[in-house]
This record gives sequence, structure tokens and C-alpha cells, in this order.
Amino acid sequence: MTLKVRDISRRPGELLDPISPEELVPLPPPYDKPEDQPGWKPINPGSSERLVCNLDGVVATSLPQPKDPEEQRRYVDQFAAGLKKLLDKNNNWTFLQPLLLSLEYCVRCQTCNDACPVFTASGGKEIYRPTYRAEVLRALVGKYAKPGGKLLARLAGNDIELNWTAISRLYELCYRCTLCRRCAQTCPIGVDNGLVTRELRKLFSQELGWAPKELHEKGTVLQLRSGSSTGMNPLVVKDNVEFIDEDIGEETGLAVHTPWDKEGAEVLLIHNAGEILSWPENPGAFAIILNAAGIDWTLASDEVGYDGVNYGLFYDDVQLARIALRHVQVAKKLKVKKIVMGECGHQHKAMVTVSDRILTGQMNIPRESCLVLLERIVFSGKIKFDPSKNDFPVTLHDPCNIVRNLGIVEPQRRILRYLCPQFREMEPHGVNNYCCGGGSGFAVMSGNNFTDWRVSVASRLKFKQILDAFADQPGPEVKKYVCAPCSNCKGQLRDLFQYYGALEKSGITYGGLVELIVNAMVDVKEPFIKWEMH
Amino acid sequence: MSAVIIIVAYFSLAVFVIVAVYRTLRVATLPVHLRWELAPVPHEKGRSHYGGSYLEEYEWWKKPRSRSLISELIYMLQEILLLRGVWEHHRRLWWFSLPFHTGIYLLIGAGALLLVAAGLDWAGAAAAGVMARAAVAVALVGHLLGALGALGLLVRRLTDPRLVAVRTAGTLFNLVFLLAVFTTGAAAVAMADRPARRLVECTQAVLTADFSAAIPGLLAVHLLLAFLLLAYLPFTPMLHFVAKYFTYHRVRWDDDPLVARPRLEGEVKELLEQPVSWSAPHVASGGGKRWIDIARELPEE
Repeated sequence: MTLKVRDISRRPGELLDPISPEELVPLPPPYDKPEDQPGWKPINPGSSERLVCNLDGVVATSLPQPKDPEEQRRYVDQFAAGLKKLLDKNNNWTFLQPLLLSLEYCVRCQTCNDACPVFTASGGKEIYRPTYRAEVLRALVGKYAKPGGKLLARLAGNDIELNWTAISRLYELCYRCTLCRRCAQTCPIGVDNGLVTRELRKLFSQELGWAPKELHEKGTVLQLRSGSSTGMNPLVVKDNVEFIDEDIGEETGLAVHTPWDKEGAEVLLIHNAGEILSWPENPGAFAIILNAAGIDWTLASDEVGYDGVNYGLFYDDVQLARIALRHVQVAKKLKVKKIVMGECGHQHKAMVTVSDRILTGQMNIPRESCLVLLERIVFSGKIKFDPSKNDFPVTLHDPCNIVRNLGIVEPQRRILRYLCPQFREMEPHGVNNYCCGGGSGFAVMSGNNFTDWRVSVASRLKFKQILDAFADQPGPEVKKYVCAPCSNCKGQLRDLFQYYGALEKSGITYGGLVELIVNAMVDVKEPFIKWEMH
Repeated sequence: MSAVIIIVAYFSLAVFVIVAVYRTLRVATLPVHLRWELAPVPHEKGRSHYGGSYLEEYEWWKKPRSRSLISELIYMLQEILLLRGVWEHHRRLWWFSLPFHTGIYLLIGAGALLLVAAGLDWAGAAAAGVMARAAVAVALVGHLLGALGALGLLVRRLTDPRLVAVRTAGTLFNLVFLLAVFTTGAAAVAMADRPARRLVECTQAVLTADFSAAIPGLLAVHLLLAFLLLAYLPFTPMLHFVAKYFTYHRVRWDDDPLVARPRLEGEVKELLEQPVSWSAPHVASGGGKRWIDIARELPEE
């Protein structure tokens, strides 16, 4: 029987729509046999008793079971209050207009369905349909936030019940969408189901205080408190970067130096601090390139100023604004001419566009993508390149937040066409790309069995298009490189490739754009790219 | 019968205008939102064909924006007249959605021709007859296309598994209603004796509120349904032709940086002063602190 919108509040003890790996669309060989794949980790019994698991059998949010019916009722009441705030000009001026347009004008044509990589990869699972959660919100708003709603809902046969089952499932369901906005791109009306999902996440966070701990406690809260979502304080981050400079210097034979807190610098570069810990070759490569090109640049050691992460973009306007303001305050203090975003997609979107309208007056310091600066440098003639050093198959992953959301499409391609003789596109690519599967914070969320879901389902079409891009040389004997100029995308690709053993079976690894640039530099004698999974 | 139709016509027109204007103004006067653009943005000159934006430009803030309003216009015309988005992303629906929408456009055109014909007829101009016959032809084609489209869309709603799963009584009702309007319209025009004359007389009767005018049965039924649809339409998502302006121009393609719009900055400053009452502890709204203060401060641990 087809799942209905109102079913979200029914059958409280059951999974609403369970998913299993067997239902997913097939992958090309040698990944086409589900029995050869690692399978999904079961949720351990302790967790399943402690945590809410009533959606699809996957747990991303680790929502604790309520203590008693009273607590359930309290949350339901809070949700109802949040629903009204979401539609209120004071509380939600930030996104009210696009939200209302999306809620009130969808004609239910389902044109968006096939654009969704999660829905498609799942074999068309109803709860992953991009319109499903929007329909739930629409029905709840219609019934509980509008005058006469209860009567109208009954007449229209859309009588959804607002109860604990509904809100707990809806909360979990908000974390089955990567907010890639591919659905929005295809909607003839301009309805944005990605935005609807984000607004639901916001309601849960800003009213009920519900958000995945990886995004909130260990994300924005930790960043605002200690300086970085990695937990690195200013001393630690400077120490780590110094170590990277030394290490990369030894490796390349170049003097690598990262300047800190240089007042009046042309460029304040803000990395995603995750790069410093997980992919140190990336900040190292940036230092080599910027120094070789003679750029007047600096990193900032003030708290928050050395970590471009802003998970608020994914779930909470308040946290988004707090972090964005601190980024700008650090730049103002250093009197830099502009902020340049490192290879981090959501940092780009948060800083360049979404925060733009809260940066009034002197706070609106110029902000630029590193991809644009890198293109400028590569074609400036200041650095000598030997593209034959990159003579291996390379394809480009387009981070949604840089490409679809900002329209920065060609600079990175012009670099790759110049420096990588075997560069080839994935299909589809550019603004029509598929999300890596780690979007909207998924890449850092790994509780319970969620990693299995995000690599198997959310990344499935991405993995397929990567394999297709290298179909002419599928074996592991030819090493291949997926260029992903985004920290979260790299995190997701790392988990994806490890899950399927893509390096061993297909010779596929991943990395950023700057690594390819440095690898092609004449002055760098040893290969900079290491063919290993890291 | 004509009295009923004329009263319903004025009532429906009034409801349509009031509700449509109200809903449009309501959206138009909502506060400016944070930027939420989405590529491709067609006014990006030289870049829109691949979805690029001015942000690809080195130090874009130092350079003049290069916009192409013609590209934007072409995109909108393709979207409005040819349903470009549906063609690209939902081809099976497009085959019916296009005649359906084209039918509606033709009927709007036929209505305009009839108004002109009625005016010319009052003025005793010879062109009135030509104009009325053109209106009849356009109306007939419009109704037939509309009926074909509505029927096709209804069949798709009833048979396509992807649409069956999400169909509601409301979506089916809307299509049946539209189908009834189109089919009665086509039949009334096709079966009328001297349809051009009839339609001009009918138009004049409605314009002058002439309750004594004779309106033939089938045409009366059609007009009644059509005017009721007019009154019903603005309460539904079928008003999306208005919403589309906002979703495209004020959301997807609204990519102006704040520094380029000083008036907007004033509006934003006011919004930052708004009181906020979100309840989660980390927001620390204190039941009504200003938005900007909440963003500047960190809650105590």
C-alpha cells in the first residue's frame, strides 16, 4: 500500500518505511553484487532502546527516547509553537518569503522527483521523495497554524495528526536530504524542497533545541566556544600548521612558510580547519602556491578566524550568523583587503552569499573563492608548470555549495584543462552535478548506522558517475584522481571509497585542487600526490 | 439565467481580483530574505549558458556587473510559453501540460479579442465581425487544447505510479473542474448558431449587466463554470503564475550583493532590530531580544 503523508503520525511502534541495501539501484561492476559489499551495521540493542528509531531503520540524529508521555507532549507543543514562529515575520524574516512561496504554490507535479539523488538511488522510496517532507509540513501548517485549519484538513482528506510519532519521524527525515537543491533547480514553479527541509531543521533547532550533535554541540557550539569545530584552539592550530610547513617543506624541498595575523594583508585565507587535521597537504599546498605567486596573505589565529566551517548554514540561522559575524570581525581586526575561502563548499555559500545581507556597512568586507584566486595565479605566469606530471585520469566533483549555489563553475575547470592532460568530466556535471552525498553536514555525521546509509544511498549516484567517468580504464593498475575542492565532499568521498574499497578495486583516490596544482609545479621535484587513501 | 450568470461573473471577478491581489501583495511585502540564489541565473551575461555567475570574476566587487536582460527575457518566455522546465525534467507530463497551458493563454487572448469586438460593435465598426470570428476561432482552439491537456493530466494523475502515490482529492477536483470548463466551452462554441454574434452579444450583456439578454443553455453552463473557476482559482496553487515571478526574480535570480543595493541595506538594518522569541536555550532570545544582539552575543554556558 502506498505510504501517505498522514502515515507519518500513525503506527507509532513501527518503522514508517524501512530501507535495506537490496532495494538500491545497482552499481556498475565490480560493485554490482550486494553480497560482496560490506553490508549495513545493525544498530546495537542498547542504542535502539535509548534512541528513537521509527523512520527507516537508520539513525542519524540520535534523538533520545522521551522519558514519559508528559515529555512527549511538551515537545509536541513546542513544535506547534515553532511552526507559528517559522511563519512569523519577526522570527523568520531570513527565509520567510521563499518558504511561503514553496509551501503555498507547489502544484504536486513531481517534476523534482528524478532530480533527487537520494530518492533515485533508493529505488524510489516514498519517504525520500523530495516532496514528502514538504507535504508533511504543508499539512501541519494547514491544520495547526491557520484559522479553521482543522475543519479544512478534514474536508480535504489531509487530516494529519501532530503527535510525538510525527515530529520524531519528521526530525529524522530532515536528515535524509543533503540540501543539494537539485530538486529546486528542476521545479518549473520555483518551489524549493531543499529550503523546506532546512527550515524544518531550523524549527527543530531554534525551538526544540534538537540538532545532531556533530553539527551543534561538536560543531557550531564548539567552534564558537573554542575557535574551531575540530576543537583546536589558537595555540594548537598554529602548532599544527607549523608542523605542516615543516613536513611539506621537507617533502618538496621548498621553504614553506605560513604567515599568521599579518595586519593589512591583501588576503585573509580561511581554511576549513578539518583540512589541517585530516588533509594537511591541502593547507601546505596553498602555502606553496600563494608564496610562489607572491601573494600578500595571512591566516588568522583569533578564535573562529582560522576555521571557515559554518554548520549553521545547514540547520540554524542564529548559529550561522554568529559564526559569520566572527569571521568578518577577525578580518576587520586584521584590516585585510579581502577574505578568501579555502577549499570548503559550505564555507563559500555561508560567507559569500547567505550571510551577505546580515553584513551591513563596514562589515561587508569583500569575499572571494579560492578557485578564482587560484585561476588567477595559475594563468599569471608567475609559477612554471609541467602538466605532464599530472598525466593520469582526473575527474572533477562539483561541490553543490560552490557550483550550483554560487555559479562558480569554470575557474576550476580552466585550471584542470590546463594542468591535467587526462581530465574528463563526469555526467552530469557543473551546475547539474550530483551531491557527493555528504552535503548538509552528513559528511561529519557518523553515529549509529548513518555512515552506511550515507555512503550507500546518498553517495550512490555520485559513485556511479565517478566509475562511469573512468570506465575507459576501470582497473586498479591505472591510478585515478577525483578532484574535490571541498573539505566535506572529501570527507564523504573518503568514507565512500573506503566502504567500497575503490582504491584497491579501481585505483580511485581523491584530493583537492591545490594538490594537483602543486603536483604540476616544475619547482616541486617529487610527486606531491600520494596514491593512498587518507 | 443571464441574471445569474452576470451576477456570478461580477462576483467571481471581484473575488479573483481581491484574493489574487491580496496574495500577491502579501508575498511582495514580506521582508527581504537572505540570499538564496540558484544557478543557472540567466541574466549573467556570457556565463548563463553553463550556469556561471559574476562570482567567477577575480575581485568581482571592483568590476561593473554585466547583465543580459535579453537572456532573462528569453528564458522567461521559454518557461512561460513552452514550459521549458517541464520539457527538460518531466517530458511525459509536458505533452499534456503544454496544450493545457497554451489553451489557457489562447482563451485569455480570445477574451481580449471579444472585448475589442464588443467595443467595435457598439461603435458600429465593420471590423467587429472579423474580430469576433477571430475570437471564436481562438476560443475554440483554446478550449480544445485545454480539454486535451486537462484530460491528459487527469489520466496521468490516475495512472502514473509516481503521481498516483501523491494525488489528493484536491488535485483531481481541480483537473475535473478545468476539464468541465474546457469541454463545455468547446461544445458551446462549436454548436452555437452564429457563434461570433452570440459571443459578442453575451460579452456586451455581461459588460452592461443586461439581465434581459438571452444566453443559450450550453453557453450559459460554460460561462457559469468558467466564472466559478475564476473565483476558485486564487485560493489554490493554480495562482502559481503570480508566484513564479517571486520564486524566479526574488529568490533564484536575486543575486545582487548588499553593497550594490543601499536601499536594501536600510531594510536589512531594520530587520536586524526585530525581536526574536525562539525558545531553544542556545538562541537565548530572552523572550524578545533583538535579532542582531542574539547574533552578536554568545549564550552563557
